[in-house]
This record gives sequence, structure tokens and C-alpha cells, in this order.
Amino acid sequence: MFHGKANESEISMADIITTTSPLKFLIGMIIISLSALSPSVFAKQDSKIDESRVNHCYVDDLAERLKCGFISVPEDRTKPNGKQIDIHYVVLPAIKNGANSEAFLAIAGGPGQSAIDNAAGFSRMFSKVRQKRDILLIDQRGTGRSNVLNCEGEGFEEALSINEADFDVTKETQACLDKLDADVTQYGSLNALEDFESVRQHLGYRKLHLYGISYGTRMAQLYMRKYPQVLSTVTIDGVVPMQQSVLAIGNAINRAFELLIQNCDENELCGKQFPNLKGDLHKVDAELTLKPAISQVRDPLTGESTQLTMTRSKFMGAIRMALYMPNVRALIPHAISEAAKGNFQPVMGLYSLTIDSTGIAMGMHASVVCGEDWQRLTQEERDAANQTYFGQEMITNFEKSCAIWNMPAVESSFSAPISSNIPTLALSGQIDPATPPSWGELAMEELTNAKHFIAPYATHGVANQSCGNDLIAQLVDSGSVEGLDRSCLDKDVRRNFYLNASTVEAIPDKADAPKETKQADTRHTAEQGDSHD
Amino acid sequence: MISNIMTMVRKELIDAARDKRSVMAGLYYAIGTPLLMCGMFMLLIGQISSPEDLNIKIENGERAPDLVKYLSSQGITHGDEQDKSLDVKDIRLIFSDDYAAQMAKGLSAEVTLVADNSNEKLQNSIRRLEKNLQTYSAEMGSLRLIARGIDPRVVQPIKVNVEDQATPDSKGGVILGVATMTMIYAVFISGMNLAIDTSAGERERNSLALLLSHPVSTRNIVLAKVLAVTIFAMLGLLLTLIISKLSYSFVPWQELGFTVSISTNFILLMLLIGLPIAIMAASLQLFVSFMAKTFKEAQSYLTLVLIVPMMLSMAASYNIAPDTLQWLPVSGQQQALIAFIKGREIPMLQLLLSSMTTLVIALGLTFAMEKSLKSEKIVFGL
Amino acid sequence: MIKVANLSKRIGEVQALDDLSFIAKDGQITGLLGPNGAGKTTCLRTVFGLLQADMGSAEIDGIDVAKSPIEAKQQLGLFPDPFGLYERLSPREYVSYFAELNGLSRVDAKAATAKVLSQLHMDDIADRRCKGFSQGQRMKTALAQAIVHQPTNIILDEPTRGLDVMSTRVLRDLLKELKAHGHCVLFSSHVMQEVAALCDQVIVMAQGKVVAVGSPDELCEQTGKDSLEDAFIHLIGTDEGIAA
Repeated sequence: MFHGKANESEISMADIITTTSPLKFLIGMIIISLSALSPSVFAKQDSKIDESRVNHCYVDDLAERLKCGFISVPEDRTKPNGKQIDIHYVVLPAIKNGANSEAFLAIAGGPGQSAIDNAAGFSRMFSKVRQKRDILLIDQRGTGRSNVLNCEGEGFEEALSINEADFDVTKETQACLDKLDADVTQYGSLNALEDFESVRQHLGYRKLHLYGISYGTRMAQLYMRKYPQVLSTVTIDGVVPMQQSVLAIGNAINRAFELLIQNCDENELCGKQFPNLKGDLHKVDAELTLKPAISQVRDPLTGESTQLTMTRSKFMGAIRMALYMPNVRALIPHAISEAAKGNFQPVMGLYSLTIDSTGIAMGMHASVVCGEDWQRLTQEERDAANQTYFGQEMITNFEKSCAIWNMPAVESSFSAPISSNIPTLALSGQIDPATPPSWGELAMEELTNAKHFIAPYATHGVANQSCGNDLIAQLVDSGSVEGLDRSCLDKDVRRNFYLNASTVEAIPDKADAPKETKQADTRHTAEQGDSHD
Repeated sequence: MISNIMTMVRKELIDAARDKRSVMAGLYYAIGTPLLMCGMFMLLIGQISSPEDLNIKIENGERAPDLVKYLSSQGITHGDEQDKSLDVKDIRLIFSDDYAAQMAKGLSAEVTLVADNSNEKLQNSIRRLEKNLQTYSAEMGSLRLIARGIDPRVVQPIKVNVEDQATPDSKGGVILGVATMTMIYAVFISGMNLAIDTSAGERERNSLALLLSHPVSTRNIVLAKVLAVTIFAMLGLLLTLIISKLSYSFVPWQELGFTVSISTNFILLMLLIGLPIAIMAASLQLFVSFMAKTFKEAQSYLTLVLIVPMMLSMAASYNIAPDTLQWLPVSGQQQALIAFIKGREIPMLQLLLSSMTTLVIALGLTFAMEKSLKSEKIVFGL
Repeated sequence: MIKVANLSKRIGEVQALDDLSFIAKDGQITGLLGPNGAGKTTCLRTVFGLLQADMGSAEIDGIDVAKSPIEAKQQLGLFPDPFGLYERLSPREYVSYFAELNGLSRVDAKAATAKVLSQLHMDDIADRRCKGFSQGQRMKTALAQAIVHQPTNIILDEPTRGLDVMSTRVLRDLLKELKAHGHCVLFSSHVMQEVAALCDQVIVMAQGKVVAVGSPDELCEQTGKDSLEDAFIHLIGTDEGIAA
């Protein structure tokens, strides 16, 4: 349940990298062990904020001058005079200036993502909202610039060669905890909520419109529960209902795998090109479960010769991550098919997207999951999770890491459904590999003034992949869910799957191809001849 | 002596306020111009923004169904020219015969875009189409690399971080530059009728000789007239500013990605900077009108004379001016105003100098007028 | 007292004033009589300082107009031709305005205006705008303007032109009253009856020169004619330019 700002519909060449690199925000729980290892070297770089000029700053990929600042809050809210931490925020000022008594607070996912690092994405997504309202981004405590709880680990090269089975989660988690200068038990959602509210008061916004993506929807729902009077509207996108432990994500991932195979089978071109996709997947999965495939490869980034240890974890994790973004998802059938033939090149390409700089602060991630999701998991749920590969991996890893993180459990009332009449829009993507539509339905249970829209072709993060952002702008403008029309979500934006490493269009028959080229050449020569005459 | 200047100013203002022609001229301009500008900008905003759904002519679209579908998801679709209900832009996108074959081989597949790039109405649509094609191409390029086990970042050796120092206000500076021009012009227009009426008009009605035969010095008469016209011009400016402030807030500037608003500070600065200009405008208009024999003649002279400040102002607002212009009256002040709008430092030296020049010109003209009122030719139009 | 001494003035090719000298005394009505183009208006404008003489001087109560125009003009009221009304002002505003220009305070000007307006029986039109006034109403307004500040000297340029009988009578009575109060009244005219009926002294002008000076009776006597008209024609030596 991680936020992907995947698939920018408008990306230029310069943007493509940031389009694909958002995978770095999508680090899976299954690879929590690995991501604890994989360092946030880049995240650190991203955290730069030019504060030489008070109040003005620039953030990555956004050329314009923004308003930024921070407030100091006690790390432990019960000890107001204890250690203070800075909560940083950025305001993307409304284009039309005027009475800025309302702001649009966009809450990032993860848990552990920096909202400020994603400012460019939010700005683009909510350009209509921003015409009249400030967009407020807050780095939640433990993320981004707000006393980030990162777990540094090994570098990129090792990431290709490592066998995750050899990875000692307990030891690495302990090493991370020892390094952190923080009381990690204070980095749960409830404390962060108080920070958000303090920032709101500090900036003097009378009302907020909330947008939460993925884990951010949990923050939004907590806000609805505790401070309903300051909220005008709420949008939850990729919903994690309060009643749901995120550790049940395994089923959602499995469902997304099945939907992918189904989509390919139903697609004329893909079905013809990869008639045995399901079989190929199980074949590779089974083979890698037995033993990793080791080969010498060129490093995807440096081009140097290196060893690739293709494990089940890497294979499944890479595909899982690719499922987040519709455009990368299109490459999966080809990647599986090649892997079945023993060529792990495409899978390695997908995998390399997920390694460095996850953008997720693993320390904060653990604080949230261990305190709010791990302990409430019943034995029944645990057994159910163990039925799937991903569920099992997660249970195993969190069992070890949460033992070290030692978070106190949240009260049982935490898991109660949210009961509210604030105008609320819930958005779910039909092929979402993290938060399936059924989770969105669960969140609706006691919302009396809410609508739940399911976008048939969206993955995780509907606002970014459809007209969802326009619906949100409409909601914010009108202050009501009445009149929101879901029909635009039905527009068929499905793309073709990659049929080989180069094309998404039907591959011409081999007999035809040279002929066609020849024809073209002939005509070309003929034209030249004409012009000479 | 001061008291009789005030007496004359009071009389001129009462007289002018009752003169429908003078008042309407000022009012028409002060109310009409900002509204007209707003209307123009609204029209412009509608014109340059590419329509939500862009219909173009796509030829051989069946050769690249995925790209066609991608474009469609971005609101760019093939429009049938026969269908009159559709606004089909004159942009053609032609897929080559070997599109799929080239694509399958990992080569570049050719797409031809045919359009007239000099057609302003099409430019945004063309750019939008090009951008989408590039996006599609870039995305495919990245995925081709991933499919080959290469990190797409290697083909982006340089990442340019742009830190734009523009503020939403300064982005609107271009628009406000044009708007300031109309505001400065308000100073010239609002007082013009009064200037003519109180000089050429006064002589035409034979009251000038009567006035001159009273125990008042010509200097005081001239000063009083300049002052009255200046006050009228400033009132016109104030009204223009207020109307502008109100009406500009109705234009959907945010659709252009910036804001244009007239702050109280801007209004105050504009009034301060406008004052010397108003004085000069008043003395210039009075001087020229005294030279003319009749009201009508004065009007036609003034229309010609006013082209000069207008050119200066235009040069400044369109930034086509050579540097020397920033020291000249009107254009110098206007550049200072534009600097203020854009949030830059106001060039004080320039502003002071051009304001000084403005005042010197005003003084010179006033002096010349005083002289001329002693001349029989001017007084009796001989 | 208005004194003109050796005034000469060329306008273009024309010698408008040619060594012109005369005196208009206080407590007297002096008529400046002459055919069109004789230089009457030029002479009066010179007295007001609107024109500068090439030679000679004009004095008002002994003050040289050319040297101290403001002081000289303060002792002067002008009834011009044409009137030069401000059409958008009411007589009260108009008269009061000029009163102030002549140095009265606002309050005094208002009082003086009220007084002169009632004196001229103008109360009914005092607060209407001048636009649309009849010729008689205009004349009264102009006259009120000329005398509101109680100048010792009053100059009237062709005052009866275009006036009906009633208006003429009003004007005539007022001039007599001014004379009775010791003012110096100087007016130009080419209407013989007018001059004959009013003037204590007549100055006959032709071609910029004084042709004769004296009371109407003296002029008749001097020329041996029975009427002033005949005497006038005799004096200027032609029929030309005599108005009916």
C-alpha cells in the first residue's frame, strides 16, 4: 500500500525518469528487508531545500518559487518541554491570490514518503484546485525533511547480487534502530495528525480540503475522526479503511497478478503473443523458489559486468512494483515470457527501477506498521496472509522487525470505521495491486455523505491516472459530492502490451515486413529519379 | 494671490463638472477602457488555450492503434471533416506505411505532422500534439531500455533544475504592462476636454478677454487652469484604477497560470508617479489648445500631439525601447511601474530623473503659456 | 477717473490709435462715439491692459495700466462686448466669481453678489444657469459682474447693442445711478440717442483720433447743427458707419 505517482499522463523526455523512478516510492513490504538495506542515497539528495532565503524555496522538478517553513513540535506530545523536532511544510500558493482561508492538504503515502518531494506531481495533478486554493504539503514526522527516520544500507551493486534469503532482518533492523536519534515509538499516525493540525493553525487556514493517497488515506480518516470541524471536503484515493490492517495486502497483490494475466489473455495481440503467460509465470516462480538463477550481466546503470542473483523475491517483487504503473505494467507479459526462456534481462530492468532510493523512510514505515497494523492482526488473518507468497514474506519480516521496533499497540478504537457526514469522495482503481476496490467499499460503511468511484482501468492512485483529479477539483469547488459524475472514469485508456522488447503494435508477418520496406525504398528511389528529371 | 488661484480652480472644476462633454470623455475612458481590456483578455485566454477536446485529422490511424488511443486519452482525436458539429483543426497526422514494422524492429517509426505553424490559433494545439507525441516516444524509449535491462536514467545525462525567480505577480507583468499603458493614458484623456474647453473654448466664448481684464495675473490664470486640468486628470486616473481593480478580478487569469491583480500599493504608487505626468499632460494640452483657434482645431491638434506620449508608453510596455527611453518622461515612469509590478527593485534614479524631466517640461510649457497670454494674437485669436 | 494720453497703436497695416488723448471724469458719463473701425474697442482694450500701446499711456485713477496692471484694474469694472458669460454657471456663481477675483473674500463676494442681483431685479433668474438666457438677462448678468465690486470706474463696450427697450431702460437708469454715486462711467457706442440722452461728455473718434470733445449740446453748438447725429456726421466728415 504504497503511493505511486506513477504514469504521468504528460511526461516529456526529461520527465520520463521521474516518471519511472517513482517506483522508488513503491518499495514493497515484501522487500522491506531489502529496502532496509537499499539506501536512500538519492532521497538524501532530494531532501535539499534552499532555505537561504527565508520563506522562499524551490523543490525538485518544480521551477517556481514556493513558500516554505517549519514549526517545532515536541517529539513526545506528552512532554511538551522535551526534545523538539521540526515539521516542514511547503505551500504551493494559489494562482489566483485572494482570501486564502482554505487550503488543500495533500497527504503522501508510504508510509514514509515525503509529500514535499512529490510537490511537482501534486502540483501537476491538482493544477485546477490550485487555481483558487493553496496546496499545502507537509513532510509527516519521520519523513522527508521532518526528522527523517531512514535506514541506511548497502549500495546498488550488491542489490543485484544479494540473495535475500541470506539477509538477516533482525540484525539489520537493530542496526538501523541503533543509528536513529529518535524515540521511534513517537512516529505513528496519531502524533503526526497533531503535527498536521498544528501546521494548519500556524498558517491560519480556517478550513482544509484533504486529499490522501494510499497510506495518506489513513491520515485523512484520522483527521475526519478527530477534527471534523476544520474539514470542508475529503478525498481518499487508494483507500486503506480503518478496519483493515495493511498487512492483508497479499491478497490484493495476488488479485492484481491474476487481473494482469486475464487482461493479457483477453487482449487479442497479447493473448496471441503470450498464449502461456500463466504457465510461464508459475514455471519461473517454481524454478526460482527452488534456487536462484545466477548469471553474469551488465549493470543496468553502470554497464559494468556484475553478478545477478535472480531470486524469487526479486522476480516477484519487480513484477509487483511494475503493476503499480499502467505504462510499466504493459511490459510485464514480455518480461515473464522472456524469463521463462531464461532471459532475465527485462525483469532485471524492472527490478532496477525498484532498488535505489525508495523514497520511503523505512524507520517511520516500521513505526506506523508495527504500531497500527502488526499487533491487531488476528491469528486467522495471519493464517490467511500466509496463504500467499507476499503475505507470508511480510508476516515473516515484520514479525522480526516489529519485535525490535517495540511499538505500543494503538487502542482497539483505532480500527473502528469512520463515521462522518463530511463530503467525501473515495476513489479505487480496479486493477490496483495494493488497495483493491473492496477496501474502498469498507471505508464507506459509516460515511453518510460520500461517494465511492471505481476507475476500471486505474491501478494505484486514481487521481493521477484518470479524470479523478478533475472530479476532486469539482468536489473542492462545489463543496459537495452531489453532481460528481463518474462516467469520465470509464473512458478506455488501456494501452497495448509490449509484444517484444520494442513495440506495442501488431508485429507484421515476417514475410510481409521486408516486402514493405522494399516497396518503400523503391518508391523513394522513384521519387528521387523524378526530381532529377 | 493664492486665494484667487483657488477661486479660479474651484470655478473651473464646477464648470467642468457641469460640462457633459468633459465628464463623459473622462468617464467613458476610465470605465470603458478597463472593461474593454478585460473583455479582450478574456477573449484572448479563450483563444490561446487549446480546446479541451482537440479534433485533428489522423490518416492511417489503423497502423498505430496504441498511439491513437494514447492521444485519445489525452483528448486528441480524429474528427470527421464532414461532421459540421465538430471543430476540426487543420492539423494532419500521417502514419507511415511501415510504422508497425519499424516499431517492431526497434527502429524509429515515422509520423508526419502537417500544419501551418504561423497560424496563431493553431500554435497551441500544434504544441500540445507535439508534446504528447514526444511524451509517448519518450515513454516507449524508456520501456525499450528497461526491456533490455538498462536503467533509463543513463540516457538522461543531465538533469536541469530550473529555479524560476518569477512570482505569480511578475508573470502577469506583461499583461499589466499593457494595462499600465492604458492607465497612464487615462491621465492624458481624462483632462483633455477640460483643457480644450478652458482655453480654446474659453476664448471662443469670449470669456478669456473678460477674465484677463480682471485684476488677476496671467501667471495665476495659467496656474489655475493647469491645476484644474491636473485634478481632473488625476480623478480620471483614480477612477480608472478603481474600475481596473474591480474588473480585473473577474478575468480568469489563473487559466494562464498566473495572476493579475491591482494592489492598493500599486494604486498609490501609480497615483504618485502619475501626478507629474498629469501636470505635464495638463500644461501640454492647454498650451496646444491656446495655440489653436477653435475648439475643433484644438481637438485635432491634440490628437496628433498625444501620439507622442502614447508611443513612449507603448515602447516601454512592450519592452522594445532602447535604454535611453528609460530616462524619458512617461516611458521612464512606466518602466518603474512595471518593475514594481514584477516585484523588482524600482529604478529610483531613472524614476526621479524622468519625473524631473516631466516636471521641467510642464514648467516650460506653463511659462510659455503665461507669455502667450500676454500676446494679443493668442488672446483675440488675431 | 480714466485718463488716456497720446495713445498710438498699430494693428497690422492699420493705425488703430493715433495719438489719442482724453479724460473721463468721476461723477460723469462719458461717451466714446465713433463709426465702426474708428478704434473705440482698441482704445478700451488698451485701457484694460489687454493690448499694449505702441506709444502713450492709459491711467486709471492715476495708476498706469501698463506698469501696474493689477492695481489699475482693481478700480475698474468691465461690461464687455460680447458678454463672455459662462453658460454652465448661474448668475450668482458668475458674479460672485468675478467679485472674488477682484479681491473680495468669499463671504463678502456672496453678500455683494446678492445685493447687486436684487438691485438689478435678477432674483428670479439668479440661480438658473446662463445657458438659454435672453439677451436682456445676459446683459443684466454682465452688468452685475461689472459693478459687483463697486469699482470707481466702469467701462461699457457697446452696452445697448441688441437690447430691447425695457432692457435699455434698465441699463440707462443704472448708469445714471452710478453717476449719481460719483462713479466714472465710460462707454462706447454708435447710437446717437443713447449718447445724447445720457452723456455729460462725448468724445468723437474717427480713424484712431479724437475729432471732438464736449457735451452733446456743446457739440451741436460747435458744428451749428440741431441734432447730435448731424453734428457727428459733420465732425467725422462722412455718412459711413452710422448705425440706426
